[in-house]
Amino acid sequence: MKILLIEDDRETAEYIARGLSEAGHTLSVAADGRDGLFRATGEQWDLLIIDRMLPGVDGLSIVRTLRAGGNVAPILFLTTLGGVGDRVSGLDAGADDYLTKPFAFAELIARVNALGRRPREIKAETTLRVGDLELDLLKRTVRRGDKPILLQPREFKLLEYLMRHAGEVVTRTMLLESVWDFHFDPRTNVVETHISRLRSKIHREGFDDLIQTVRGAGYLLDAAA
Amino acid sequence: MQLPRFLRTTSFRLTVLYAGFFCASVLILFGVMYWVGAGFISDQIDQTAAAEVAEVRTAAHGGSLAALRGTVTAYSANASRGMYYLLLDAKGAKLAGNIAPLAPVLGVRIWAARDEGGSFNGTPHEVRGLGVAAPEGGYLFVGLDAYELEEMREMISRSFLVGILATIVLALGSGSILSVGLLRRVETISQTSRDIIAGDLSRRIPVRATNDEFDHLAASLNAMLDRIETLMAGLQEVSTDIAHDLRTPLTRHRQRLELARAGNSLADVRLALDRSIEDVDSILDTFTALLRITQIEAHTRATAFATIDLSAMLNDMAETYASVAEEQGQTLATNVAGGLLIMGDRELLPQLFSNLIENAIRHCPAGTVITVAAAATPGHGVVVEITDTGPGIPADMRTKVFQRFFRLERSRTTEGTGLGLSLCAAIAALHNAVILLSDNHPGLKVTLRFQTANQTV
Repeated sequence: MKILLIEDDRETAEYIARGLSEAGHTLSVAADGRDGLFRATGEQWDLLIIDRMLPGVDGLSIVRTLRAGGNVAPILFLTTLGGVGDRVSGLDAGADDYLTKPFAFAELIARVNALGRRPREIKAETTLRVGDLELDLLKRTVRRGDKPILLQPREFKLLEYLMRHAGEVVTRTMLLESVWDFHFDPRTNVVETHISRLRSKIHREGFDDLIQTVRGAGYLLDAAA
Repeated sequence: MQLPRFLRTTSFRLTVLYAGFFCASVLILFGVMYWVGAGFISDQIDQTAAAEVAEVRTAAHGGSLAALRGTVTAYSANASRGMYYLLLDAKGAKLAGNIAPLAPVLGVRIWAARDEGGSFNGTPHEVRGLGVAAPEGGYLFVGLDAYELEEMREMISRSFLVGILATIVLALGSGSILSVGLLRRVETISQTSRDIIAGDLSRRIPVRATNDEFDHLAASLNAMLDRIETLMAGLQEVSTDIAHDLRTPLTRHRQRLELARAGNSLADVRLALDRSIEDVDSILDTFTALLRITQIEAHTRATAFATIDLSAMLNDMAETYASVAEEQGQTLATNVAGGLLIMGDRELLPQLFSNLIENAIRHCPAGTVITVAAAATPGHGVVVEITDTGPGIPADMRTKVFQRFFRLERSRTTEGTGLGLSLCAAIAALHNAVILLSDNHPGLKVTLRFQTANQTV
């Protein structure tokens, strides 16, 4: 993906640049708000990563300006604040996702991949399929092969999310935010517990587990088992 | 040159202002008195003059200038003190009278008389009288000495001056006394404040039992000082705690990094670095939690409230944690009434409940039963109870545990920031909710009392 990073802190910029290049993306860096806005509007980008605190024009204004100007490129917002209201104001301004520094490489890459999935238009699909696993969104049912699987509402939501991001790593934080709407770090292994339950429920004799744990990153649902 | 302190006080300035107002009132009063009095006296004089003119004319029987002349001469000769007569012919020459000829002006007139038979010691004074047309183009004037008017004027001026002087002296005098008195009280407060700033936080402003504004001020300031003292003590405690609680992971961190440096294999180094990252993450967790607590306590989130379906939220929470509890060999039960609505923060409330449920899961052994219950109590809002049948918290610790970094002895070694309950307390306070810990016989009962959605503020 062609990514523009607007970040004034050199070390952070290097850190991000390193992580993203290793993942195979092309990265350009702007070191201040004005330059960043100029470059963001001047070229086509697959993804914009914008830091909230910038000299010149601040990150929030950049996001608003871009959206007001009709720019629909996905935007990932970065901040050191982690304040209780900052996330909401960032998303309200038009950002698609929000990361608090410091973050792990794995977190950044997982989110960048998730945002880069384009086109964002959700096709009017009523079923999700990964391998021989089938999830019916309308009937709220799941089957593997021809065997129906009974899931609790939360497990269904979790599986749906994993299937929508099939083939990509999803981090624990992403799951907590999207499946549970938790914007804090729980002190117990909520995610792990639910993943392992889900795993055992969709397990099929003789087949490898569809849900893999990626150490230091998160989870991955993949049919290439 | 600076004025002495008391002259610069507000009370003195006020006194001077009041003195000014009083002087103005006195001025107006005397002005009115003079105006009314003078008016009365001049009316009297005018009437007397008019009456005398009428009398002269009547006595002249007829009205020819010659007859008038005779009458005026007679009257002039027998003029009582202060009465003046004058008759002029058409050419303006004096025919009779006891004063010098005047310009023949008709109507009431005032002029300063000069000596001319019948005047007083040669001093010029005011004469007020009536001039009328006499037959054959002549001019008749009868006037009276306006000495009464003058005397009255003088008397009023004198008493006015005395009054003004008295007012000013009184005002300044009482103002000074008042100022000095007030200043002394203000000075006491200032001095106490200076002592406090110098470091003696236990000092309080003396309160006289007069229950006046100063006493109220002193009482309020003392209450404020109590609060500050508590906060400062708390702050010192927290600083010590933070320093202590962060030194441990930082020390470990440093040790690991040193080990990493001395590591034999790349794998060892990698492992040490992994653990170091964990240490740093745990320190960051502490800071994030602290920051969140501070932000919440500063009420920066109070405006983000929305109507929350508390029943749905709690049931959801219970569903999430049921499996986690099961893994620990515990049971999670629910008893949540339906349709409970409160005003709250969509992000913070889940954190509050999550914290409390997780505390139960983490600090209780296998076999514990954890219950999440909620109901509306008419008139007392919505009550949420999270109970467990675990070890509970001793009665004397039940308020202490809400302090930042406070840990029960037995939990000292478990993972965590020690800020969980502080965060819960801050979120509860933000929602104007009461949070209480009590004995569940056995175990711990956490009670939260929220106002219902239509009960707000």
